[in-house]
Amino acid sequence: MSAVHPIAEQFETREQQREADSLGTWVFLATEIMFFGPLLLAYLYGRTHYGEGFAIASGHTHVGLGTLNTALLLTSSLTMALAVRSSWIGGRRAVTLLLAATAALGIAFLVVKGIEYRKEWEEALVPPFRFVFSGEHARAVEVFYWLYFLTTGLHALHLTIGVALVAWLALRARRGEFGPHYHAPVEMTGLYWHFVDIVWIFLYPLIYLLERWR
Amino acid sequence: MNPAPVRAYVGVWIALLALLALTAGSAFVNLGAWNSVANLVIAAAKALLVAAFFMHLRRHASALVRVFAAAALFTLALLFALSGADYATRHIAPVPWSEPASATQSSSR
Amino acid sequence: MSAVSPAVPAPSYVGEGYTLRSWLTTHDHKRIAVLYAIAITAFFFIGGAAATMIRLELATPQADLVQADTYNKLFTIHGVIMVWFFLIPSIPATLGNFLMPLMIGARDLAFPRLNLASWYIYVAGGVFTVATLIAGGVDTGWTFYTPYSTMFSNTNVILAAAGVFITGFSSILTGLNFIVTVHKMRAPGMTWFRLPLFVWAHYATSVILVLATPVLAMTLVLIAAERLLHVGVFDPALGGDPLLFQHLFWFYSHPAVYIMVLPAMGVASEIITCFARKRVFGYRFMAYAILGIATIGFLVWGHHMFVSGQSMYAGMVFSVLSFMVAVPSAIKVFNWTATLYKGSITFSAPMLYALGFVGLFMIGGMTGLFLAALALDVHLTDTYFVVAHFHYIMVGGSVMAYLGGIHYWWPKATGRLYPEMWARVAAVIIFAGFNLTFFPQYLLGYYGMPRRYHVYPPEFTVLNVLSSAGASILAVGYLLPLAYLAWSLFRGEKAGANPWNACGLEWTTPSPPPKDNFAVTPTVTEEPYAYSPERDAEMPGGKIAQK
Repeated sequence: MSAVHPIAEQFETREQQREADSLGTWVFLATEIMFFGPLLLAYLYGRTHYGEGFAIASGHTHVGLGTLNTALLLTSSLTMALAVRSSWIGGRRAVTLLLAATAALGIAFLVVKGIEYRKEWEEALVPPFRFVFSGEHARAVEVFYWLYFLTTGLHALHLTIGVALVAWLALRARRGEFGPHYHAPVEMTGLYWHFVDIVWIFLYPLIYLLERWR
Repeated sequence: MNPAPVRAYVGVWIALLALLALTAGSAFVNLGAWNSVANLVIAAAKALLVAAFFMHLRRHASALVRVFAAAALFTLALLFALSGADYATRHIAPVPWSEPASATQSSSR
Repeated sequence: MSAVSPAVPAPSYVGEGYTLRSWLTTHDHKRIAVLYAIAITAFFFIGGAAATMIRLELATPQADLVQADTYNKLFTIHGVIMVWFFLIPSIPATLGNFLMPLMIGARDLAFPRLNLASWYIYVAGGVFTVATLIAGGVDTGWTFYTPYSTMFSNTNVILAAAGVFITGFSSILTGLNFIVTVHKMRAPGMTWFRLPLFVWAHYATSVILVLATPVLAMTLVLIAAERLLHVGVFDPALGGDPLLFQHLFWFYSHPAVYIMVLPAMGVASEIITCFARKRVFGYRFMAYAILGIATIGFLVWGHHMFVSGQSMYAGMVFSVLSFMVAVPSAIKVFNWTATLYKGSITFSAPMLYALGFVGLFMIGGMTGLFLAALALDVHLTDTYFVVAHFHYIMVGGSVMAYLGGIHYWWPKATGRLYPEMWARVAAVIIFAGFNLTFFPQYLLGYYGMPRRYHVYPPEFTVLNVLSSAGASILAVGYLLPLAYLAWSLFRGEKAGANPWNACGLEWTTPSPPPKDNFAVTPTVTEEPYAYSPERDAEMPGGKIAQK
């Protein structure tokens, strides 16, 4: 069994620390929402001014891989939520395995993304490095793909950080650090992980599902 | 902390996958402008499920946390709404010194 | 872990350790406040040096000191440094950091290590800015407008943007820390409506910091990327819109001005109540007005874009909203005035600064209404009228309040009294120098002199000379506190816990406070600003030496 985790010096009670950590994490997530916001506005600008061009560009994205990735990330949210749940009630093995599964699913997402990026490179859809597209909508398609790489790249960066955090937590869980007496890091990282998932939930239709019926 | 049973979480997960199937499937049907509406509504529903159940906003979060979550979304909405007010009306209520309509033919707008 | 009443008093936060390392690895909010104070003072004088060059050049109509390119770099670096490296952190990161835990009865902020990280991030951003200077500067204006910044400028745009980007995270983390602290660390009995208005002001400021700054961060990423890679959403040739940049930039930068002024309002409320010996008039309205300013402040950014090509409809909407934001500000000015009415007023140095703040903020704010009127703005925009307007608020307002606060809490933070006569003289010199510098600029703008020009037609000479003369007086005024405050650290009279006989928890601990602030966590039962004749009779106001 693990030792009792001390309360940080500035707090009076464990409950106060827990509430402060929780509020702090949510405020941080609020800043992340505002950080991604401008990219969405830029996307909205493109979508409303170049409806046709954006739809054509979306048609070139790999919707199968994108849908697979969405499913992977949603599943990782399940495993993460279950990991948090296990940390509340105790169970070293459960927490460790669930955290490891979460990290593994995150890595799977990144691998699939890498495959997608590679395909896009081969198809010359990577502005400005390798972009070839002709026709009247070329500019709109370029803007679309620029925003695509920027938003999914930023998302992937956040996900990579998340994977690293979760993997580290899994190691700590294996040592028995988390349980009913102490689970704040798992909870807070969980919140971050779910946020990264929510960002993707919105990115997915915006990128992959424009006028797919064409 | 008395958490919900495992099956509650799995239930949410199944709902999420179902919504994913719905949004992906409906994209291949031509519903015109309603495609976008459907996609965004479904995305919002998925996000709400994740926030309410996986992030515990529904049962275990204080009112304060919910306020902060809402505040960020509201602020973002403000950015979109007021910028949108400009974009939506730029060609019906332009300022007197902007380019006349004929000159914009050659531009890439 | 609560403190036990010591038989021997705990050392002050200064006495806890004398090594540089103990300062650079501290978690103590008071020490971090001092670290910030040193850093922002340095930046103030660098930004001031740029201003000096500007006013020297503008003393004559021709280009004699610098050419256009250099002049562009001067006003850019002046703006970048003064906005992001001085004004935005000034009151929150120094006075806010030092006082917030004390004012609410806490041992420290909610996240002390995050606080230290904030300072290091600020310094890192500062390094990039200094690097920009050394590398030859940047000439886009502090506003980084596209397409000049993304396509045509030949200066260090990305380096400058990186500096601001990094420092933005310092602001965000400070705001996060303050929000959680105010919600979760208040002492027993310290309800929201017993909080000093200083705390309310910093809370509202923190909400703006966390919601607006990330938008600036992403916008800077977008211009850096567009500049580097020549793809983007701001370039019309690529199908983008330069106004998209302006919407994003001002969405942050307008609330940013409330980040700069709200803390100053908080300081003013503390000083005015103390030196009028009266509780604040309309406490709840003051608190709600603070929240109102922060909220409506998010709705008005388009007033920076009236002539940019934005639609007329949007212009009208933003104009109406801009008029509305003046209402809560005006309420505050009325209430400060009503607080002074029938008060027992002492014209101490902090009070002189606070009074100066109220008057100059009022003038600056009212001229903002001129600019909020669409038709007037067409004539006044990009002229010296705008320059005068924002300097009245940021310098006549925020900087004066900052100096007032530094003087008011100097005894608490250092345990020493500053020399009162010198402080009053400096305050008056600053007030006079400020008005001589910036009032002529209203006239210059009205007569049509554009901003960001290093040359001007000869008919504007007299007003420009007056302005430059005022700047030299202002410079003297700013150098004086540097000198006598430093002197007071070594030779100043020792101060007691409460030299001003002020209300507020920070005055109940020794000066300087011990590391954990309070020997025993206080329980609050009093209303804020509980000034009364009885209180003054028990212990007469004015300076009291440590017994």
